[in-house]
Amino acid sequence: MKEFELEPGEHVVLEARKHWFLFLAELLPYAILAVIPFALPKLLALVPPLASYATIFDYHTTLARAILGVWLLIMWTSAWGACTKYFLNVWVLTSQRIVDIKQCGFFSREVSSLFLSRVQDVTTEVMGVLPSLLNIGTIKVQSAGEDVEFIMHGIPRPEHMRDLILKYVSVETKSTGV
Amino acid sequence: MTDQPLHPFSPPASLIAFLPNSISIGTLVQWALYIVFAFWAIYTLVAIYHWLKYSHASWVAFPAIAAHLFISFALMAYALSGTINV
Repeated sequence: MKEFELEPGEHVVLEARKHWFLFLAELLPYAILAVIPFALPKLLALVPPLASYATIFDYHTTLARAILGVWLLIMWTSAWGACTKYFLNVWVLTSQRIVDIKQCGFFSREVSSLFLSRVQDVTTEVMGVLPSLLNIGTIKVQSAGEDVEFIMHGIPRPEHMRDLILKYVSVETKSTGV
Repeated sequence: MTDQPLHPFSPPASLIAFLPNSISIGTLVQWALYIVFAFWAIYTLVAIYHWLKYSHASWVAFPAIAAHLFISFALMAYALSGTINV
């Protein structure tokens, strides 16, 4: 099932998601939390007053194995949930419109379309050291007439996306005569 | 307050004493794990439903679902492994 049906003669030009670096940054907290049960005994052993607590983390006992297994399962499933959200949030540029698909949570989805003939202004922003090095930025698409603005944060190569939008805006404007 | 050496936590023996003789700690842990796995199953079903319903992500849907199931089952087996023959 698709969120939107392509019109006759319409084709998908580009699908854009957040930059992979931002995706990895989202996963980092889960990775750190997953490592804690293995790192904590070693860290506790370094502090003499707390060294005796390191024996709690003996993963040969029934309870400790169960707790560790559940902890890792929660971390893994949460990370996978983040992965699901990453893939379900997408911007689709077609030859006639821009479709913004937002997955706010499970069973909470928003799909908006902006026809290219209504696009008035496209702005890109790349701010900061890392975004400049990795070429991560924000695109703002302003539509004519209304205060509708499409914003997508953290997309790779925003200038390329802007150029593509403007290219298809000019094609669409010529074909519709607007 | 005098400086006292810290001691590791001891198992809650007083709580365990209230358990009927027929129920072991291993059985309790096993049932607690089954409850956690039930929540996991519901969450996973909902997520898989979303992966499969929205076809724009389908190129990666099946490997993602397979990886999730494989790793989750491995972690579940690890969590349950301590309760066997307890």
